[in-house]
Amino acid sequence: MFQSILAVLLFLTTLVGCSTQDTATSSANPSEGPGSSQKIDYPTKPIKLIVSYAAGGGTDTGARMLTSYLEKELGVPVVVENKPGGSGWIGWGELAKAKTDGYTIGYVNAPAIFAGYIKPDSNRKENLESFEFIINHVVDVGVIAVRSDDNRFSTINDLIEYAKTNELTTSASGVGTENHLAALQLNEKLGTKLTSVQFGGTAESLTGVMGGHVDVLMAKVGEVMQAEKEGKLKILAVAKGERAAQFPDVPTIKEAVGADVEFYSLRGIAGPKGMDPLIVEKLQTAFENAMKNPEHVQKMSDLGLAIDGTKGEEYLQVLKDEEAIMLDFKDELGW
Amino acid sequence: MSPDIVSQIIHHLFSIQTMVALVVGVVGGILVGSLPGLSATMAIALLIPITFGMDPVAGLTMLTAIYTAAMYGGSISAILIHTPGTPASAATSLDGYQMTLKGQGAKAIGISTISSMIGGMLSALALLFLAPPLSKVSLMFSAPEYFLIAIFGLTIIGSLASKSMIKGLTAGVIGLLIGAIGVDILTGYPRFTFGFPALETGVSLVPAMIGLFSLSQVMIQAENRGKNQGKKKALNIEGKVLPTWAEFKGIFATIIRSSGIGTFVGMLPGAGADIGSWVSYNEAKRFSKHKEKFGKGHIEGVAAPEAANNAVSGGALIPLLTLGIPGSAATAVLLGGLMIQGLIPGRELFTTHADITYSVIFGFIIANILMGIIGLLGAKYFVKVSVVSDAILAPIIITLCVVGSYAINNNVFDIWVMIIFGFIGYFIRKTGFHPAPIILGMVLGPIAERGFRQSVLMAKGDLLGFYFSRPITVVLMILVLIALFSPMIMNWWVKKGAGNFEESKSDGDVADNPAK
Repeated sequence: MFQSILAVLLFLTTLVGCSTQDTATSSANPSEGPGSSQKIDYPTKPIKLIVSYAAGGGTDTGARMLTSYLEKELGVPVVVENKPGGSGWIGWGELAKAKTDGYTIGYVNAPAIFAGYIKPDSNRKENLESFEFIINHVVDVGVIAVRSDDNRFSTINDLIEYAKTNELTTSASGVGTENHLAALQLNEKLGTKLTSVQFGGTAESLTGVMGGHVDVLMAKVGEVMQAEKEGKLKILAVAKGERAAQFPDVPTIKEAVGADVEFYSLRGIAGPKGMDPLIVEKLQTAFENAMKNPEHVQKMSDLGLAIDGTKGEEYLQVLKDEEAIMLDFKDELGW
Repeated sequence: MSPDIVSQIIHHLFSIQTMVALVVGVVGGILVGSLPGLSATMAIALLIPITFGMDPVAGLTMLTAIYTAAMYGGSISAILIHTPGTPASAATSLDGYQMTLKGQGAKAIGISTISSMIGGMLSALALLFLAPPLSKVSLMFSAPEYFLIAIFGLTIIGSLASKSMIKGLTAGVIGLLIGAIGVDILTGYPRFTFGFPALETGVSLVPAMIGLFSLSQVMIQAENRGKNQGKKKALNIEGKVLPTWAEFKGIFATIIRSSGIGTFVGMLPGAGADIGSWVSYNEAKRFSKHKEKFGKGHIEGVAAPEAANNAVSGGALIPLLTLGIPGSAATAVLLGGLMIQGLIPGRELFTTHADITYSVIFGFIIANILMGIIGLLGAKYFVKVSVVSDAILAPIIITLCVVGSYAINNNVFDIWVMIIFGFIGYFIRKTGFHPAPIILGMVLGPIAERGFRQSVLMAKGDLLGFYFSRPITVVLMILVLIALFSPMIMNWWVKKGAGNFEESKSDGDVADNPAK
């Protein structure tokens, strides 16, 4: 037993050793940071990047794909720490309360984060004001899709017309998630009868629609790309301002039916409120450069994700607009 | 497969990097699996960044090897120290630990190894030959089927690991109630969370299980210290690792059945290895000629869950590789690993990237064989754990309990969950209950509830019509009815047909045991 425990410890330390070694070599050559007109001594030690979801999920994968480039920019290791649970608020709660020294930052997922304080029975003091919004990394654009052999609908207009008189089920991944809100918005603006079936995650939603158990799939570009290519799903509409590069022939909801309904999620970087503006600026520059790395852009686009880069105040404004939509639907959500 | 691909596969597989990756994956997986709280999911997530720089075949082979080896590794600690290393091996601890107490720890490990290897191999063969048709089957299952599978699994609860049916049912209901904690997924209402955000996703299964099985075990042993030298120590640890031919023949059907169940459950995105192993255990008991031996150190009780949980690993890869739909938590993480290598799951994996995909599948088969060899060779060393003095073992187990509970979600709250469940486990075991039905209730309750409520929405108003219009649902309903009423009917039938029999046992095994 001792031997096996020792072996495990050895195994684990080698693991940790390997990963820190990687980062050490990459940090051997700290960049002089282009935006360092005013001198701050930051960063000098590893930065913790909180991901409020489990390892291997979309947010985690995206974060780990960025950190290697980010480490080159910052010259210190960036360590992803997964804090899953509490609908994301285990991690966000910790982030909001973290020291403002810039060594703890984290991913913030919208609109998921709003639910945790808008919902009255969650009794949470934190809100958007509790964070310093640094830069948005990714926009994960929503799509509306049906099974390719569902002959009832060949366009989004067919679907909307049908749903005005018939009840249709749509997939959603939790109360107040973007795909749930989208169904509520369509019901309100167009008088459709969409019922959201809440699933535990994308895997179940995809099975639900591809297996013909649920009528309409509300998912993200990256989640449906391959199934569309293989002719298993028909993408009817893209749920954002402009068409998606992956599906140039698919109209947006707005251009097809005229209703201003969008759904997408944002995954960006934030820190606790009260960070030094110089640190924030330094982080913004580093993230921006890392995100622009062509290799990173290509990898993210393969996953169907669009790199964003909205910073600071502007980023906060985007979040506030999103938050407003959820506030509008408080009644429908039963909050 | 063209000869061209075969040579490519051989080229990929027999490279130094792949071979090293295989060995590291298998050994690492066994170790990670055997430590409570450290799961395959976590190990895969930790190693994915390392696979960035590796050749895709080597990287992915390592990850799948870890996956299957961790499933097996969990049984070692479950058998030897009543500490399931993963939730998937909780069922193994029922009979496995009893075998250790009887001095048959080595044989229990041997059976677990053989069953795991066969289960893993059969599921890998299903993956190799039947992936496309089976992926269609996995799409046929949705909310109503999950509901009924969960109910089917719950039918055994009364007779599981408990001398009294009332106690078994009570423990099961406690588990169901604990399973109700957390945010109601359909309304968003937080149920019984008492303001703890960590409870919003429910009581974490792993810390609860570690508390119920491991911590309570340490407490009971600590209490017995000094009294006639504590637990019944394994007397003859040098016992044989390999089962006799007769024993192997006796469990062969169980292994095959459990492998089938495991592969099948693995294919379903809503059900993982924990459910696969429980359902197999239940079915092994239902079909067994020796029902009464279950829970007392019966080899079928070890073979069934172990064959199943390794079969889940291959089964879960089927929808992952063909549809991009992960069949379990660990394969959800693997999906990230595939994507990073630029391998988007779907038909292309079997056409454009066929050389890589088939190499990984063959690597997975080799990993299962390697796991079997290492397990059988190592069994007689592993088993020495059971003679280590409690004074040494107890602090180590407690340390592992704490570390494992924290590590699963990086959350201190889970350590408290583990401790509380440790006390619950201690008191229920002192009063003749068993923790197994509680875990079963916690695992199956949420699936049953969610499945039923989702199916109500899917039915658009006509629930009965919806259920009876789905052939698989109808079959499952019939199975549930048979499971519930067959013991009673058998009893009645035997009593009526042979009135001179003495009062027969209520668990329905009289038909197999007419001499009683």
